[in-house]
Amino acid sequence: MKWWLACVVIGLALVPDLGAQRALADYRYFRALSIDLAGRPPTRDEIAAFEAAGFDLDAWLDARLASEPYAERIRRVYTDLLRLELPEGTAVFRPPSVLLRWTTIQDADGKTLDLYFREGQRRLKPELDGQVCFTQAETGLIVGADGPPNGTPKRVSKRLLEERTVVVKPWWLYADYKTRQPRNRADATWVERYGYELVWSMFNEADGKTPVTGVRVCREEAQIAETGRVVATGRIVKKGDPLLPGRLTRLPADTAFAKANAGTMTSCFAQTGFESSIECGCGVGLERCLPTVPAGFVMPWVTPLGVDLAFDSAPRPAILWLRAWWSQEAIHFLDRIFREDRDVREILTSPSTTVNGPLAQFYRFFANATCCGAASELGYTQAEPLFDPAKVPTSLSPHEVATWTVVEDRGPHAAGVMTMPMFLLKYGSRRQRAHAVYSVFMCKEFVAEAAKLEPSTEPDLTKRAGCSTCHQRLEPMAAYFARIQESDWTYLPQPLFPVSLERCTAAGPAGMPMGACRTFYDPDFTDRTSTMLRGAYGAPAHADEGPRGLARDVTSSPEFAPCVVRNVAQSLLGRQLTAADDTWKAALAKAFVDGKYRMRSLVRAIVTSPRYRDANDRKPR
Amino acid sequence: MRPVALLLALLVACHGDRRPAVISPGTAQPWPAHRAVLLDQSPKAKRRAVPAEVFLRAYLGWFGDLAPYDAFLRARGNDLFDQWSYYLAALGLPDHHVDAPRISQSNTVMLATIGRLGEALCIRSVEHDLRANPPLDKRVIFAFEQPVQPTRETFAPAFDILHRTFLGYPVALAPIPRIDRFFALYREVASRQATRLTPDEMAWAAVCTALVQHPEAWVY
Repeated sequence: MKWWLACVVIGLALVPDLGAQRALADYRYFRALSIDLAGRPPTRDEIAAFEAAGFDLDAWLDARLASEPYAERIRRVYTDLLRLELPEGTAVFRPPSVLLRWTTIQDADGKTLDLYFREGQRRLKPELDGQVCFTQAETGLIVGADGPPNGTPKRVSKRLLEERTVVVKPWWLYADYKTRQPRNRADATWVERYGYELVWSMFNEADGKTPVTGVRVCREEAQIAETGRVVATGRIVKKGDPLLPGRLTRLPADTAFAKANAGTMTSCFAQTGFESSIECGCGVGLERCLPTVPAGFVMPWVTPLGVDLAFDSAPRPAILWLRAWWSQEAIHFLDRIFREDRDVREILTSPSTTVNGPLAQFYRFFANATCCGAASELGYTQAEPLFDPAKVPTSLSPHEVATWTVVEDRGPHAAGVMTMPMFLLKYGSRRQRAHAVYSVFMCKEFVAEAAKLEPSTEPDLTKRAGCSTCHQRLEPMAAYFARIQESDWTYLPQPLFPVSLERCTAAGPAGMPMGACRTFYDPDFTDRTSTMLRGAYGAPAHADEGPRGLARDVTSSPEFAPCVVRNVAQSLLGRQLTAADDTWKAALAKAFVDGKYRMRSLVRAIVTSPRYRDANDRKPR
Repeated sequence: MRPVALLLALLVACHGDRRPAVISPGTAQPWPAHRAVLLDQSPKAKRRAVPAEVFLRAYLGWFGDLAPYDAFLRARGNDLFDQWSYYLAALGLPDHHVDAPRISQSNTVMLATIGRLGEALCIRSVEHDLRANPPLDKRVIFAFEQPVQPTRETFAPAFDILHRTFLGYPVALAPIPRIDRFFALYREVASRQATRLTPDEMAWAAVCTALVQHPEAWVY
């Protein structure tokens, strides 16, 4: 060996290990970065890499800031603030046109059969109209809205059974339910294939062993037409009318829509089609309906690490199972913004979203079922939705829960998280919605200091003493949501629901008309010449702008960027920001705005700052 | 007596020719250099609890990257582990269904829960890593050859592996020397009667549990 080479080798051997030179504070910093950006403490291998000479912290940070755990960490900042989950017991979204109810009857052999039907389904036979497709005289049973029937069952003849019912291979049991001969029945492999799990024992026949291969439904429910002819029976039904024998409900009366449009075709995707046509059913494989029974759809319940790693799950009926996916929609939407380092303002402004199979089914077939109710009296019969069903990818099947697809444009009314079902149900009222946006995205609260509440008849809360302090700001913000019904997502389009509707004014001798006028227009702001869309009085122009207007106002306000900085910095530092942080916060906010509202650079600036590095009171001993 | 006292006072007062020194004007001298004291004025807060999600992810990783249900299956038995639902809220997870906020500061219930989870992890890991004796690269926690009747010197490198696993840095950098204290714990437990595990296995499980419960493991 050359003498100089030997010297180099000896010299290298004598160079102290750089890792040994890392101080305790370095290790702690690296651990904090791992916790916040990798979602877990560093492993032994990662610590060894950190100790090695040439460890490039910048490159390590870049890799972490492009990872899923980073996106999840920042998303948690916003999910903790928005809390987009609903309580277990909340009864939301139960439109009769969607709910496929369950009962039992006895066949000619005395065997108990499950039977599915829709409460309110229009049928040709007057005695069956609006209820299950058998009379009490035929089955011996009185069938309520849900659950087992009352009475002593009588055997239903085979002929009658075939006449009134049909067996369908439904979407929840067959992946290929749209084909003529569905064969791909759900089994245990579906969890791996689709992320979709059923409690299999609940999908067996009454013997508990034989797998159900089809469900029996009333014939009208099994129809697949997309449009149906409107029928008007001419029937006059009054509230005090006696019930017909064997019925628990009165016969359905003609709706105003049916009277006005008898004989014309209407869409079977809307509530009006369900209410006024005999030809509207649940579609191919019953895909436009959700079974209320069995409660065998396994719903991930506690999912701190995502639905793929559920810590608790419980079987639920499909109607509740769907709720888990509303929540996941918001999570996937936020994750995409942070993972792809998109403009943070998109949380409020973006027309896009991400959907999986159940959500695609929901937006195509179910969401518009809440439209239009009383609004049909004012001519609103076809929903103008927040999420245009035509934009939903048709390639997604209802059982594909693990396949998430981006929809770039939901429609002209979509505005980030604010027009998602979970937000609109979590924050049911217009004021709640405005308040949530105000506090989460502007970091401000409505606090009335030294306000005195005195009796008042002033309906305008922006003027009423004691209320005006907060409501001067709240009411104009709430007005942005005036066109989205409360505890619902039905959109009220401007042409049919102008801020002031002449036919709803109090010009007549009886004052403001009853019915839909009072549902959608506020009597307190109605006189002989004008009226006021509910919730719009604080700023009528805002009603027409909708949530998109609010998104524009909030994201262009000087409070928005500092609020993003505050929320994220507080979460990463684990403490409230104080006046001592103001200069730092202002600099971060300016850089955030100059950098086009990208979260990644903001987080990088925070975690590389001395404040983060020395975030706690730990002192070297 | 009084005249004598007055005379003595006069003598003391007028003793010597002590006129005040005269300070003559001169050029101004700079102040002597002083040492600059840097004060860290950045706001400080108490160390924050590791987010429950991070603890759970780490915990599943320490179990060998198991899914929650599989970790439950591995951990249960002999009253070591009940159900996840008993522990999750106590770890500080928020429950947005009922608007229960995240707990970001530790509390006694949280610490007890972490201790309980740590015990389950460490005993099962002893069974998996030490008793079953798989190759080192298959061990998740006790990734070392178990020293026979360890001395302080043979205990220290093994303990360093555990220390890095749970606290994230070499034990040599610990603010308070830890090897002796944990070795004492090891010897204390190992001196007791065997249960299902051997005394040495119990001792390693105790050291592991103490590290999982160590404040540095669940704050940062």
